[in-house]
Amino acid sequence: MTSTTTQSGTPRPPGASGRPAALLQRVSQHGVLWPVLALVVLLLACGLKSPGFLEVVVRDGNLYGQLIDLLRNSATPLLLALGMCLVIATGGIDLSVGAVMAISLAVSLTYLDGAADPTSPATVVTAVLLGLALGVVIGAFNGFVVTALGIQPFIATMILMVAGRGIAMLITQGQITTVTSAPFKSLGSGFVLGVPMPVVIAAVVFVVLVLLVRRTALGMFLESIGVNGEASRLAGVKARSTTWTVYVLAGVLAALAGIVYGAPTMAADANNIGLLKELDAIMVVVLGGTRLDGGRFHLGGLVVGALLLSTLERAVIIFELPSQTTPLFKAVVLIAVCVAASPYLRSRLRTPRPRARVAKPVEVAA
Amino acid sequence: MSTRISPPAPAGAPVKQRTDGVRGLVDRVDRRFLPVVGTVLTLVVMLGVGQQRYSTSRVDFISMRMFSNLLLDNSYLLVLAVGMTFVVLTGGIDLSVGAVVALVGLVTAKLFTAGAPMPVVLVLGVLIGTLCGLLIGVMVQVFDIQPFIASLAVMFLARGLANVVSTSSLAIDDPGFSALASWSIKFGEGREMWRINASMLTALGVLLVAFYVLHYTRFGRTVYGLGAGDRGTAVALMGLQPDRTRVWVYVISGTCAGIAGILFALYTKSGFNLTGIGMELDAIAAVVIGGTLLSGGAGFVLGTGAGVLVYGLIQVLIAREGLDSWWTRVFIGAVLLAFVVLQRVIAVRRR
Repeated sequence: MTSTTTQSGTPRPPGASGRPAALLQRVSQHGVLWPVLALVVLLLACGLKSPGFLEVVVRDGNLYGQLIDLLRNSATPLLLALGMCLVIATGGIDLSVGAVMAISLAVSLTYLDGAADPTSPATVVTAVLLGLALGVVIGAFNGFVVTALGIQPFIATMILMVAGRGIAMLITQGQITTVTSAPFKSLGSGFVLGVPMPVVIAAVVFVVLVLLVRRTALGMFLESIGVNGEASRLAGVKARSTTWTVYVLAGVLAALAGIVYGAPTMAADANNIGLLKELDAIMVVVLGGTRLDGGRFHLGGLVVGALLLSTLERAVIIFELPSQTTPLFKAVVLIAVCVAASPYLRSRLRTPRPRARVAKPVEVAA
Repeated sequence: MSTRISPPAPAGAPVKQRTDGVRGLVDRVDRRFLPVVGTVLTLVVMLGVGQQRYSTSRVDFISMRMFSNLLLDNSYLLVLAVGMTFVVLTGGIDLSVGAVVALVGLVTAKLFTAGAPMPVVLVLGVLIGTLCGLLIGVMVQVFDIQPFIASLAVMFLARGLANVVSTSSLAIDDPGFSALASWSIKFGEGREMWRINASMLTALGVLLVAFYVLHYTRFGRTVYGLGAGDRGTAVALMGLQPDRTRVWVYVISGTCAGIAGILFALYTKSGFNLTGIGMELDAIAAVVIGGTLLSGGAGFVLGTGAGVLVYGLIQVLIAREGLDSWWTRVFIGAVLLAFVVLQRVIAVRRR
């Protein structure tokens, strides 16, 4: 009964009143709305608490300031999350990225340590390439276990999450390898045209990936694999090799993130570099409005997610809370955003609307 | 030392042994038991290698003493893994348990310093775990948040709360608690002497209760049914209660984490906010090695018990071999790989 009245009543309610409502509905339905709101609130709160927070100064032609630091800190989680998001789009997950960070940094620094001249650009390039190559190898291994052996991504990548840190320890012989090499260090703390190097690297990777995924059919393939791998294979998508590629990509990006993250300190601490970073990356993906069960994904949301994460970490310091309480606030934001975006709450929020619609035809009839 | 890299038994030998065993047994054993048979065979091979390499003329490697030490060192892990088995059987995951162990340990220590009586402290400690589990269950069931994310959030929550309680190690010097920690029944004499203590009894008790609940109750049926991956439709059609059960498995896992937190506090006689980092992975690894499929619906809680023993034995063998501790992680990774490949092979053959 009610459904028929609704249908006959709704066809285009008089003009303008419908449109803002529709727009509002579309905005409120968009997955990124809540993270963006949270980010804005946090930034404003930090700005109010500490007036210098929103200032950006130019010193020696380079940008400095708290906001720039935020961008710099967002680079590593963004790099990790970009790879993670593509993997999640195919319905998988990559738990090994934190360990990959440790391994790639260990390999790069161990090579630099053994090299004759750690400061020569050629050596540094080789060191970085070695680290990235290791990311390729590990990504290929993950991809092999997931696609060729058909093992669930969670457990397949957990193998390297457990073993990877042990491997990194083997590479560094259980020591914390430290090297001095200005060119390598600049990967993490240098500037390009006044912008911090990690930000530039993350931005370039982001733009390249967005072009790759949205200007070619790759993004659609990924989503189709995530929704139904078997069906997309029957439709002619090379599901196996595409999935494999995505794991390799995640491995390389994790390796890059490890190098960028570890470059400023130049110390390969195999036990602690990238510890629990895979969980941060997954959190960024979820905050960015991508669901973990595969299919639709939003790369743009990752930027918001990564910024939100690093702003949260900074806000804890600005509000003079003990930094160990950071996980608590991460939990609060994660729960709040997930609950706000959950189907249950949406349907609860939507329930009044049909009643309003039912009310209208009565007016018309009268 | 590095020339002896080929060691072990754990990575190489058991795999061969196992495939032989599997082929031989395939016709006789119910296929559902094959992963568990693999676990038991691995256990036997590891014990054999241990007996071969580390027995002296005076003492055998395989002894009640070794088993009692193994169980003593891994009692908290056994309880965690049993709770995790419930969740994994429904196709979910619980990442929060390691952080909950740390939180419970710290709260226990704090309450003892505040002078609370022991029964109150123990019950409160376990209840904290139950609450954390309930929170995950409600998020998963009511708000339809994926278990991975829901438990991740609670993991952050528990770790953050633990950091709020204290960031330094708190010693527990309550006389009653110390008495409980050192209480044990002794068997045998001299070198043959072995003991059973409160943690071991608790862990075994939890294992037996879980075995009964999973295999002989309506609730257990529902847990297995939820693992079918149809969001509980089949289970609901059978007249069982999928919704309530899905919340309950997380409550059980959380409660087990609470118990494990108390056991860990008994084991270390202190609470520390950095304990239990990565413990959830140990528990998941033990569950997988024990033959439970991470996709849910298939597995046995007694297999989990065997998985915990394999996990503990790897550590014992590495220590006896004199290898650096980081080899443990590499071997656990290798054993994990071997087991998931084995499970996969069985799944393919079944088709």
